[in-house]
Amino acid sequence: MMLALLVLPAAVMFIVSFLKYRKAKFLLPISSFAILLPIVKLFMLSKPYAILGSYLVADKLDTYVLLVSSLVGIGVTLALLTLGKHVRVTDKAYRRFYRFFAIFWVGLIFSILANHMGIYWIGLELATLSTVYMIKTNHTLAAHKEAWNYMIVGAIAISLVLFGIILMYASAKPILGERAMQFDLLLQHAKEIPSPFLFEMGFAIAMVGMFVKMGFFPMNLWLANIERASFYPVAALFSGILESAVIIGFFRFSRIAMQINYVHLFGFVFVYMLLTIFIVAFLIFRAKDFMRLFSLSGVEHMALIALFWVSGGTFAALLHFGAHAFLKPALFLSTGVLESNGKYRIAGALKGYSGKKGTLFWVLVSLFLLAIISLPPSPMFFSELYGFGAMIQTAKSSNHILAMIAAILLLLILLSVIFYRFVAIYQSMKYEGKAEEKKVYASELLALILFAVCLFVLLLPATFDYLRSIV
Amino acid sequence: MGADFFIGLFLATLIVALFTSRLYRLIFWYSMNSLVLGILALLVGKALDDKAMLITGVATLLIKAVGIPYLLKHFSEKFQFVRQIQPQIKTHYAIILIPAILVFTFYLSEPITHMMQGNTNYVAISISSLFLSLLLMMEHRDVAPKIIGFLSMENALFLLGITATEGMPMLVELGIFFDLLMAIVVMNLLFYKEETQS
Repeated sequence: MMLALLVLPAAVMFIVSFLKYRKAKFLLPISSFAILLPIVKLFMLSKPYAILGSYLVADKLDTYVLLVSSLVGIGVTLALLTLGKHVRVTDKAYRRFYRFFAIFWVGLIFSILANHMGIYWIGLELATLSTVYMIKTNHTLAAHKEAWNYMIVGAIAISLVLFGIILMYASAKPILGERAMQFDLLLQHAKEIPSPFLFEMGFAIAMVGMFVKMGFFPMNLWLANIERASFYPVAALFSGILESAVIIGFFRFSRIAMQINYVHLFGFVFVYMLLTIFIVAFLIFRAKDFMRLFSLSGVEHMALIALFWVSGGTFAALLHFGAHAFLKPALFLSTGVLESNGKYRIAGALKGYSGKKGTLFWVLVSLFLLAIISLPPSPMFFSELYGFGAMIQTAKSSNHILAMIAAILLLLILLSVIFYRFVAIYQSMKYEGKAEEKKVYASELLALILFAVCLFVLLLPATFDYLRSIV
Repeated sequence: MGADFFIGLFLATLIVALFTSRLYRLIFWYSMNSLVLGILALLVGKALDDKAMLITGVATLLIKAVGIPYLLKHFSEKFQFVRQIQPQIKTHYAIILIPAILVFTFYLSEPITHMMQGNTNYVAISISSLFLSLLLMMEHRDVAPKIIGFLSMENALFLLGITATEGMPMLVELGIFFDLLMAIVVMNLLFYKEETQS
């Protein structure tokens, strides 16, 4: 019953997307808003809640991720209402966008709620394939090239994930049989797995696939190029929703790997993330347009989430995840306005707004820009504080405390490079360049207000308590 | 014995595909690769008395050996693909590279295969097929051979599933088939747009 309720709005959206009546266009956003209702209902139920036997089980972690994703989905839908006013988009492409958005939701619901490695993979693959066409909604040669690029690189990444899953399944099958696909059983019996090396190999390969999908080392630019070529709501969907489905997989797999050999897991993730942030910091320093800047910053934050998680700072990782999921789509959606007149121009991007709507827009964008670099009272300030605290605790208990402290210091230097660049960009947006008149529409402003409210809710003590109780 | 013969054929069809310079022939070799995979699934399924694997074997024959090659040929005619697809890696280099990849993969997968039951060479062959499929994607500039490379990679993973785990759960196998069909639908749309743009 719950599964039917969860999938129903997406099914309605899919069917309505085929109708050519003028009024049908208005039903699409309504069906998208309706996705939130069953998710709120699921959020309030006691956990764990079996949705489909042992295949789909809702626990606190996945309902939190699903709730955040559905709120981002509403923000994106609000911004989609005025997409045609900033860029050229045909009715047919608009309807088709929603058709694939519906498939994307189904894939996402399955992958986030999956308690089964196979179903997680199927859902992720479905969500990945459906986004390919969304990139193509922008009728340019660059978007067409990037859609193919995404299709091929995405397929390789997802195949690596499947390869890893097969090896992990093979490692646990002798003790669990066909149930070796279940995350909960794997976690319970992790220490009994007869060939831990095989599991670790599978884990490392699956993680490389996931990291490629998120734009980590060595594929730092492919996602940024794709987001540059596609319409801004697609970039918001990527950073706010699709990456959530990938990171929840990382959370689940790494919890099992932690039980098998924590030192191996930590070393692997730490070195990988350090390399990623090292390269991304310099790419951000050289970024010359908003889309690439925000996309690369997204890679940096996802790397930080992974680092905090494996360092034992699960609360910090989840808070950082929530803050990033709201902040980044908000910034991507703002680019629709920031770039609609001046294209790639950063200087003066925050000038030229008039009236209450215009003023509120630039104030919100300024706040989001400063919040993404963790200036207090941004939730990211607190998550980084707790996250780095957890890393220092891990360093204290390790046998290589000096090397660990040096690595953390290097990380802080790299983050300060990013901080410096963002502040310089903000100053350029606010104080340099000419003021050109820009128009802000009510729906996109509503989306930004929604994200601001969500960020405020993340800061409440009750939310902190809830996040602490998740793992 | 039968399985050994077919697993050799599986690898052979993939190697021949790597040297192919015509699109239809490449589709034919993909079809042969899938046919051998389907027969292998039926043989292993029969040996293990696993009905789920027998069903996936039949589905492989119908979807991958017949359905997808037919659709690819149909797309090729509909969207007028370039059929002369010269690999970027020259034949005399490929002759050295492919055995090197095979030897390297056998060496690389040794620690894994030690931990597995059954015929461990099968696992090494499926991993080397995965690398060869990646090579197929890398050595062509056109989109169509890259798609066939991706589909071959999916075949290699399916083989790994059969050999390393004695079959994945039925639900997962069917889900993978569904995703494959979805991939074909998306590819069709991407090709269609390419045509309308030019």
